[in-house]
Amino acid sequence: MADETVVRRRVVKAAHGISDARVNGQKTQSQYQPYKDAAWGFINHWYPAVFSKELAEDEVKGIQICGIPIVLRRVDGKVYALKDQCLHRGVRLSEKPMCFNKKTISCWYHGFTFDLKDGKLSTIVANPDDKLVGTTGITSYPTEEVAGMVFVFVREDDFADEDVPPLSQDLPFRFPENSERFPHPLWPAAPSLLDADAVAHGMHRTGYGNWRIACENGFDNAHILVHKDNTIVHAMDWVLPLGILPTSDECITVVEDEHGPKGMMQWLFTEKWAPVLENESLGLKVEGVNGRFYRTSVVLPGVLMVENWPGEHIVQYEWYVPITDDLHEYWEVLVKVCPSEKARTDFQYKFERVYKPLCLHGFNDCDLYAREAMQNFYADGTGWDDEQLVATDISPITWRKLASRWNRGIAKPGKGVAGAVKTHAIRFKDTAAGKPPGYFVEQIDD
Amino acid sequence: MSQTHTVTFRFADGASRVVDVREGDTLLDAALAGGVPLMHQCRSGSCSSCLATLCDGEVVNQPGSSSTLLASEYEAGHRLLCVSRAQSDCTFDLSYGSAEGGVVPVEVHAFVNAVEPIASNVVKLSLELADDNWLSFKPGQFVQVEVPGVSQLRSYSPVSTEAELPRLELLIRLLPEGVMSTWLKKQARVDDVVKLKGPYGAFFLREKRRAPHIFVAGGTGLAPVLSMIDRMRQIGGRKPPMLLSFGCATSDALFYLDELELRRQWLPGLDVRICVDREPGSCYHNGSPVSALRPEDVSDPDTVAYLCGPQGMIDAATRRLVELGVAPENVFAEQFVPSN
Repeated sequence: MADETVVRRRVVKAAHGISDARVNGQKTQSQYQPYKDAAWGFINHWYPAVFSKELAEDEVKGIQICGIPIVLRRVDGKVYALKDQCLHRGVRLSEKPMCFNKKTISCWYHGFTFDLKDGKLSTIVANPDDKLVGTTGITSYPTEEVAGMVFVFVREDDFADEDVPPLSQDLPFRFPENSERFPHPLWPAAPSLLDADAVAHGMHRTGYGNWRIACENGFDNAHILVHKDNTIVHAMDWVLPLGILPTSDECITVVEDEHGPKGMMQWLFTEKWAPVLENESLGLKVEGVNGRFYRTSVVLPGVLMVENWPGEHIVQYEWYVPITDDLHEYWEVLVKVCPSEKARTDFQYKFERVYKPLCLHGFNDCDLYAREAMQNFYADGTGWDDEQLVATDISPITWRKLASRWNRGIAKPGKGVAGAVKTHAIRFKDTAAGKPPGYFVEQIDD
Repeated sequence: MSQTHTVTFRFADGASRVVDVREGDTLLDAALAGGVPLMHQCRSGSCSSCLATLCDGEVVNQPGSSSTLLASEYEAGHRLLCVSRAQSDCTFDLSYGSAEGGVVPVEVHAFVNAVEPIASNVVKLSLELADDNWLSFKPGQFVQVEVPGVSQLRSYSPVSTEAELPRLELLIRLLPEGVMSTWLKKQARVDDVVKLKGPYGAFFLREKRRAPHIFVAGGTGLAPVLSMIDRMRQIGGRKPPMLLSFGCATSDALFYLDELELRRQWLPGLDVRICVDREPGSCYHNGSPVSALRPEDVSDPDTVAYLCGPQGMIDAATRRLVELGVAPENVFAEQFVPSN
């Protein structure tokens, strides 16, 4: 019949076979489905934005987290954060900062002017009587500044101010308040960013891959093989195992306290994990003599803590802040409590001379390239279905499940932002000009 | 000429619309003619889609028509607009926003992806909308499926959410001699094409309510309720505490237990109670899903409740929840009517 419509099947991708021999069978996978959905990150969490020294008084900078463009401006010492996307036609305010007073920031294109405190449209430069003024605005983001780091609460547009949790709920476990629960015989309470006299030194750089791949590397106890030949390990004669195997069901404790960070603690260098120091069939043996004991934990939204690393009384924090679904900002921060000027000077010297070149670079550079090496397998989404995890992967699996349960929201794919479309001319032009996709907004050179 | 009355409809989003209604016309017909976006479906006093609350004025039932409202609901001001006539100027409150009623149902085709028995008398029908076909719905709303070969319509609420579209999953209770049941058991094959129409119904999740949510589901009444719970999960931000009380007659009639376990894992604030009421000694709560409700479940006066199941369960659940302190206007219910 001529008027009969033709009903066609949608064209769909072939399904991937799943082997039940692996640790993460279909059932386990469904338990962390929300995590698999979180390619653009977990939203409604605190993330580091910049080091304090990166944002001088009156300076304006643009960044992107979880697909949300954010503009930062410091006025009278305080950092303000607004959505970096003019509500008029989407231009990034940070690309050419224009501020006429201490209370606002204006879009340099058509003059839409926003209140720094709440993002309200307070005027339009050449159209002050427009009826839009006062009725609309852009989202504002709460900020906190501690120990030389600026944090932003990256939220959905309708996330209520009164629901914003304290920063401490998105930072690693603290000591000594957790010393009884997570004692470690080999070192005293690890320092925290929030401690009095805490000093943070570190760096951040863009990682070319999904944030989850990066995050899982940090506490994956089989990954330390990539560090086998690192200079610092051999210079210090450290015993860095080839890998660490779980020996007990209690090798990981999941922490779900109502008002605290949600995450997991790994009982490394206790009887619950066995270091592997030798592989006879390959003729491999760890030769170091100095114990380098450490312990890793991770909390939402993906913050790693390595206690007692890379030295005594020091802790290494890492963040893998999602920028898009294929980019993240990798943060490495060392924290030490420095009660005196001398302690501060010594820590700074050691950081510049030893820790930064040999650890944050020498050691962690390996992590960076290892994660990038994994990216192709996961980039099209099939890696999450096809990976064949094993016993040591209890760590990422536990993390995926708890992250599925405790995240405050799954970021939606970025809309109208850098990286939402991977193949447009601007991205190619910038890359060809030697500016690969990154974290900060390239400001217009005028 | 008959008399005309001024009728005001107040939507939940604050919008209100006024129409003049002749005394002999049903309120629904007059309002739709006047462009007021009211939800409706059966137009015969049974589906409750056009439910509204009379705040002021006088209204009578259309002579010869009946409505499925209980006396207590009528007493509370509930009216079905499709069988009501105005006797004076009057004002109604609607439980949905002005943008939500205006959705026009569409007719689409879908392919059968799978037909799976999931309990002694329940089948999961997995569908996929055909190319260039789209049917969106709010969690809790229902679609009508034309049973292939017999041109009869049956209504089902998807257990899936809009986020899973173009895939759509329906939970269907098998009834002896039911036309849909017969088709499912004897004829339905993967790649068959069925016709769907929708969305329909005013039983859907009211988003952004911050008070605790209670869901009570009997049998395949779980479908709309699980769709709502999944939607709550998909919405970011602080989630209200949720309680799901789900029951079937016997344990072999239970289904979706793994799926419920997953939700329990994904949603720290979700409490799930599984009940069977005709099998003493099973490992589940012995009794109806209503009997599993406890006084401490209602500690917030703004608690919202969604009920779906047989009429008897809904009546009992409504009574119990109101007794425990839930405001009647915060109880949303959909009865499912088996049709043979």
